[in-house]
Amino acid sequence: MNKRAYFLRKIANALLTIVLVASFNFVLFRVMPGNPARLLLPKGKVSAAAIAQQEAAFHLNKPILEQFVYYWSDTARLRFGYSFAFKVPVTQIVAERIWPTIILCGLGTLLATIIGMVEGVIAGWKRGKTFDTASTDISMIMYAMPTFWQCLLAIMFFSVALGWFPVGRESTPMAHFAMWGPIPLDFTTFTTLLYHITLPVMMFALGYYGEYHLIMRSSLTGVMKEDYVLTAQAKGLSSNSILWHHVVPNAMLPTVSLVMMNLGFIVSGAILVESVFNWPGIGLLSFQAMDAHDYPVMQAVFLLGSVAVIVANLVADIMMFYIDPRVNA
Amino acid sequence: MPRRMKLWIVLWTPVVWLALTLIKYPKTIPLSSGIVAIVKGFFAPSIGNYPPLYLLAAAVAVVAWGVVLLVGRSATRGYPATVIATGCALAVWGLVNGGLFSPGGFSLANRTGYFTWLCQTVAVVLVAACVWMWGLSHPERAQLAVRNARRTWQLYSSNRQGMLGLWIIVAFVAVALLAPFLANHALLSPGAGIGPAFEHPTASYYHLMGTDEFGRSILAEFIWSARISLVVGLMATVISSVLGAGIGIAAGYFGGWTGEIFMRITDAFLVIPWLPLAMVLAAAWGHNYVIVIVIIGVTSWPGTARVVRADALRVRELPFIERAKAIGSGDLHIMNRHVLPNVFPLIFANTILVVAEAITAETELSFLGLGDPLNFSWGTMLHYAWASGAATLPAWWYILPPGIAIVFVVLAFTFMGTAFDEILDPRLRSREETAGYDGGGQPLLAADVVVPLGGFVLNEGAPLMPYGMENEEERREREP
Repeated sequence: MNKRAYFLRKIANALLTIVLVASFNFVLFRVMPGNPARLLLPKGKVSAAAIAQQEAAFHLNKPILEQFVYYWSDTARLRFGYSFAFKVPVTQIVAERIWPTIILCGLGTLLATIIGMVEGVIAGWKRGKTFDTASTDISMIMYAMPTFWQCLLAIMFFSVALGWFPVGRESTPMAHFAMWGPIPLDFTTFTTLLYHITLPVMMFALGYYGEYHLIMRSSLTGVMKEDYVLTAQAKGLSSNSILWHHVVPNAMLPTVSLVMMNLGFIVSGAILVESVFNWPGIGLLSFQAMDAHDYPVMQAVFLLGSVAVIVANLVADIMMFYIDPRVNA
Repeated sequence: MPRRMKLWIVLWTPVVWLALTLIKYPKTIPLSSGIVAIVKGFFAPSIGNYPPLYLLAAAVAVVAWGVVLLVGRSATRGYPATVIATGCALAVWGLVNGGLFSPGGFSLANRTGYFTWLCQTVAVVLVAACVWMWGLSHPERAQLAVRNARRTWQLYSSNRQGMLGLWIIVAFVAVALLAPFLANHALLSPGAGIGPAFEHPTASYYHLMGTDEFGRSILAEFIWSARISLVVGLMATVISSVLGAGIGIAAGYFGGWTGEIFMRITDAFLVIPWLPLAMVLAAAWGHNYVIVIVIIGVTSWPGTARVVRADALRVRELPFIERAKAIGSGDLHIMNRHVLPNVFPLIFANTILVVAEAITAETELSFLGLGDPLNFSWGTMLHYAWASGAATLPAWWYILPPGIAIVFVVLAFTFMGTAFDEILDPRLRSREETAGYDGGGQPLLAADVVVPLGGFVLNEGAPLMPYGMENEEERREREP
């Protein structure tokens, strides 16, 4: 497949999926019980005038097809309305909250990928040895553990019993950092940040590393059966050379694509970690929005999460084109 | 009809009756209330009180199925007749539960009477009779079914991980079913504290796991939670598997534009982050465990659909499908009679893995406070533990038990799914022997299979899928 056709196809697929998801979003918030205009306003008593005003603002008094057109034009201009829980436009609150999530999930993913891959390589290479069985069993257990339970255990052990880290539900100074302004780069800020971020990042990483370990190990096992590994052995190459030059580069591909895909899910995937640790990111935002029935925010977060996954998939596909010669063969 | 099948029917009918009875057993007759009260409980009028709407829906479905059998004449007369009789019994059961014979006439809200108990018994016996009649009317298929079941069991029981998983599940199901005898449900109401708040575990029975923020027995909560967690996991899986299998088979069988449309929808659902979606739905529809079941069911099917589609694509190319088309079989018939039986093993193995995912999903939703506030589940317990600040005390006796139970159940279902997968895919059985330089002869670890079947798949036409999955598809393409 040539480059242009491949890229065009992938981009067209991604766009089509975005259109489908956004349409689903439109339908979802209109099939829910009750008047959608009412859902976009706070709970409790609301005057009829306010509902009428809300209907007019979101064109909810128009025929459904016309609404669909307006929905698209609003979405395209990123107009998601006004968050009544936070008293600011939705776009603003989402923009404020996105950086802490990116910091948390970025570091967490990095850590999970490194630990998972290294462990997976060693486990797959020393298959059947103590290290393999032990580490694989641990990954299986980590994989089966609910993330939020790990977080609770970590708070209980590291924060309360040992007192190393802040207790989850106290408000973090992260919330007071001006996310848009320059973060003062002095030692105190750094240590405060480290003090608050370590546990969430560790727990986030723990939630994903099991998966990476298992994939890496199983893909390494598969690659080691390939003929070219046998050839390399027959040539008399050393074990290390076979592992690092012939096995690992090929075995890494599935893990890389999985990591890329998970990158899309982190926008929404950190809901549990962020809620437990009170980390002011998108996850906590969606939890707070759900608690307050703040539908404008929920809608925006939902759409953002889906688009992030699609974009991450697209990037993974494009990256694969460059790092996996089999794709453009 | 094989003798062994008759034996199975005779053995299993009372077990099914007992299970159905225990689900509705009065919740306030603990073991301490004496043998007479316990035995009386089995004949309580509440036993047959399943929701009338579900029973009536089942009745309509069963009668319709019986009529189809009768018209289709694919069986001897007795079998469809028994099916229709079962449907009628279900209908009567539903009507009685709806209050047909109670003063004030028929209303779905008010149900009384010992008739429901009788109706349940009759319905269970009739279902057994249906199976019996099926065996009589299709002796060869019954023979085959028995032989397959025995062979599967032989393979399964030689898998140690699978058996471990099975025993764990049996233990938890037993706890869930026997909950009325293990803990008094009255202890779960907010005012029913048995001691001070956050009391350490002590040696007396209800204090074994300490108390929660209202001084209630955590042991009682733990035992009753097993029910909701397992029921939500299993029922959500049923919805998810039916949707996933249906859409997967249709997409794989039709191919072309129709298949493409199905796959686009699946892809759209696959990229939707399920937790925010579930949060939106739960916030809008209310907090009730039936709604949690529906939410998890409708958000978790795309993985199954993709796996099933890949297999249906393989089956579609097999020669007997062409033969069936040549003799004029309809699409629906082919999908139902030829494609479904061939992809069923895959659906089955996948389903067991989906249960593990569904239980995790239920815990996550409940933990965020979207669970049923009236029915405890392990996730709800952890939600209350979190909300009451048990982690900061630290009240470890409140946080550890539900989490450990979740880990055990999820691992057990994963082990079982892996074991079935190994049975159904013989290639995996020999995989260990050829793997690596130094790993020969090792037993297959669950880790090798859980990932490929977990449903992490890229968009269609993606260059690479996680390794196992890629192999799977390649192999299916190579095979005739």
